[in-house]
Amino acid sequence: MSLSLNRRRFLAATLAAGVLRAGAAGAADRKRFGITLHPYYSYVANIVGNMAEVVPIIPAGFNPHAYEPRPEDIQRIGSLDAIVLNGIGHDDFAGRMIAASSKPGLPVVEANADVPLLPAAGSMAQSAAQSAARASGKVVNPHSFLSITGSVLQVATIARELGRLDPANAGAYTANARTYSRRLRQLRADALGKLASAGDTRLRVATIHGAYDYLLREFGLEVSAVVEPAHGIEPSPAQLAETIATMRRLDVQVIFSELNFPSAYVETIRRETGIRLYCFSHISHGDYAADQFEREMTRNMDTLVQAMLETGQ
Amino acid sequence: MHHQIVHRAGAERETLWVLLAAGLILATATAAVGLRPAPEAEAALAPHQIDSRTALTAAEQGLHADLKMAAYEIAAEIAALRPADGTSNGRAPSPAELAAQALPPFAADASAAARGGHVWTLAEAGGTVAYAGLSADPGIAGSLVLLLDRQDDGHGDRHGDGHGPGIWLKRAAEAPPARLDEASLAAAGWKRITSTFTAGVTR
Repeated sequence: MSLSLNRRRFLAATLAAGVLRAGAAGAADRKRFGITLHPYYSYVANIVGNMAEVVPIIPAGFNPHAYEPRPEDIQRIGSLDAIVLNGIGHDDFAGRMIAASSKPGLPVVEANADVPLLPAAGSMAQSAAQSAARASGKVVNPHSFLSITGSVLQVATIARELGRLDPANAGAYTANARTYSRRLRQLRADALGKLASAGDTRLRVATIHGAYDYLLREFGLEVSAVVEPAHGIEPSPAQLAETIATMRRLDVQVIFSELNFPSAYVETIRRETGIRLYCFSHISHGDYAADQFEREMTRNMDTLVQAMLETGQ
Repeated sequence: MHHQIVHRAGAERETLWVLLAAGLILATATAAVGLRPAPEAEAALAPHQIDSRTALTAAEQGLHADLKMAAYEIAAEIAALRPADGTSNGRAPSPAELAAQALPPFAADASAAARGGHVWTLAEAGGTVAYAGLSADPGIAGSLVLLLDRQDDGHGDRHGDGHGPGIWLKRAAEAPPARLDEASLAAAGWKRITSTFTAGVTR
């Protein structure tokens, strides 16, 4: 009796171990795709579903504008099968991390390969020479992820390239990418639908951070002025005075600032000019999540619609 | 009698050597910089091309990106409408059908009105599908044409610049182009929009 029980236990244990091994093998077969920025986590997670693992190489909570590579993050690159990069200026640290990792030949997916890039946002607080270099288009605006069209184009590129690296799942990646892109397009259609009866919605816009050109172009808006010389770099008092004078001269109606990056001088601008201020999300905060991009872009577009409706009245 | 000449204290000789060394370093550096200039990365555009980053208005930049996105969707729809036996090509969706799907820039929304109020028509010739949008306000955005191959998957390159479907611009267009081949479009004053990928400058 006890022998038979033991045998049964042994059998059950063996079976369980077999199942676990099979599960582990399944997990080992799954590709590991690295990402650097929050929106790219959402893109890749929606494209691969549960067929691959998405690995952020920067831990949540680090500001990508001020990130300095750490040894443990570089070590993580060694476990990846490929990495998806913004590649146009927002994660330039990644190339050096890959070179220093145990996999310097890691396949890189250039998400922006097919996106029509915009020049870096012109700042009111920069020299004429800098403005000329930017106007020539040699420096591009890396925030193509802060727009629906820019995101859909990147999702298509990522799905195609990841499919090449993981041919067994290529069809599923393409199908998932289309479903996700349709959802993203619907978010924009919903936001524009709210403007249907708004009449003329043209605005003269200034932004604190030069991140929102791609988004504003989708709504037919153009940025007249950008306040920060570079992200997180506060203008000097003299630059601030000039900024305020320029905003008055251009008769700017709306300023878009940024959630999670509070700056005391923004309040000074608002107080001095009396211009309405709204806040966008840069989508670079909080935990990595598949639905984060949709949530925060919905909020951004709601903010934009609210600004257009309130200012148009 | 013992004579000894004692030179006055000074650093003329050292100064001379330091200046010579500095001059040598400068000359070497100048020669190295002069002989190894950075390659001119940008290829000059042909007369019938226009750069999306520097030569378009804000509205045109937005429309161009939207047309690139729409090209994927249209190509997928053409493929989906293609008969399973492959005997004929799929039908291209009409601008009205695309507008009904809220696909920009065909959707008649607030954005379309703010970016030139384009009126879209579909033309087909041979294996080419053309969506032509005539601008109601060329001051904001010129007229545009999206050219697609029926066999394209939206990533096709037959009309392109290495980056997808062919998108053409004409600021003062009064009618959609009569002929859809590249030479005829260029002769009629249309310019192909090109976009290039530029990696981050601090990579």
